[in-house]
Amino acid sequence: MIEFRLESWAAMAPGLQTKEAWRDWLLHPERIDSPLGKVSLKQIPPLLRRRFSPLGKCAMGAILPILEDGESIPSIFASRHGDTELSLSLQKDMGLDEPMSPTGFSLAVHNAVSGLFSIARKDTSEITSISAMEALVLQALLEAVGQLQVSARVLCVVYDMPLPEPFSRFTKGDQFPYAIAMILSQTTGDSYSIEQCGNINDIIEPPSVSKPINSELKQINSEPLRFLQLLTDISSATDSQLNGASWRIAKVK
Amino acid sequence: MSNLHLELKQMIIETLDLEDIDTSEIINDEPLFVEGLGLDSIDALEIGLALQKKYGITLKSDSEETRQYFSSINALVELVESHRSK
Repeated sequence: MIEFRLESWAAMAPGLQTKEAWRDWLLHPERIDSPLGKVSLKQIPPLLRRRFSPLGKCAMGAILPILEDGESIPSIFASRHGDTELSLSLQKDMGLDEPMSPTGFSLAVHNAVSGLFSIARKDTSEITSISAMEALVLQALLEAVGQLQVSARVLCVVYDMPLPEPFSRFTKGDQFPYAIAMILSQTTGDSYSIEQCGNINDIIEPPSVSKPINSELKQINSEPLRFLQLLTDISSATDSQLNGASWRIAKVK
Repeated sequence: MSNLHLELKQMIIETLDLEDIDTSEIINDEPLFVEGLGLDSIDALEIGLALQKKYGITLKSDSEETRQYFSSINALVELVESHRSK
């Protein structure tokens, strides 16, 4: 079993920015169809600000409220799809035999958001960039806990946006933009545990593991949203499946 | 200020997503890169591409000449004018 402490966290999605708003929404979910509103990036110099795509702005919207200006901190950035909208626009240019935008090309790599983040903050701490189909939150946390062995605090960010057409019809992925930012600490904050608890075929039925609250709203039954139920104390544990194994993240009482 | 000065300023603002900057804030004889407007090397590539698309000008990315052309709006205007008169 692995344990870590959570010093602070913030999350954002269209219309949801405070912990209270998240908790209310998770208890009484309503469909989110609106795009992400304007995200304030005042802490980032204007010339760098323009390089953040909607996906990058979404991630920054969760990160900036929990970080002090000028503090250096290692970070884990995890996104399943990254900036697919941008990659697609570059592929369209290629298909039309048009020259590619150098800016677009430079920002289409998976670690572009974390790169801009480190340039904007002049922080040269370690950065790991993750893309994972299964158990994105769990894999980000496992990586962050690894980094926490040699750093007092680690920033862990999980973020994604819905895929654009023509990809969206082939996936059951996220249906609205979201980002979760957390600061893990060796010494400060509530304790959480991560434990592998058998394989998927084992029947695990503890009383308090989060379940989809509203079966009509399939939006809510994604790993990041089940994890947010844990962060907002709606549940005390959440399970993720990874490579045929079942893992549990739980709050330690 | 000539129409070409204004045209190039608008091209720079549009291609580089400088939403908050007005054409009047780009000074004709001030540096575009690092100091002055504060653009970076990726912006230089992007301006190079825009010049190619809009005016059919192809520049060598590593030549001293190109460096000169990119030093200010005045220098870019000269570049476009000399290309037109060819």
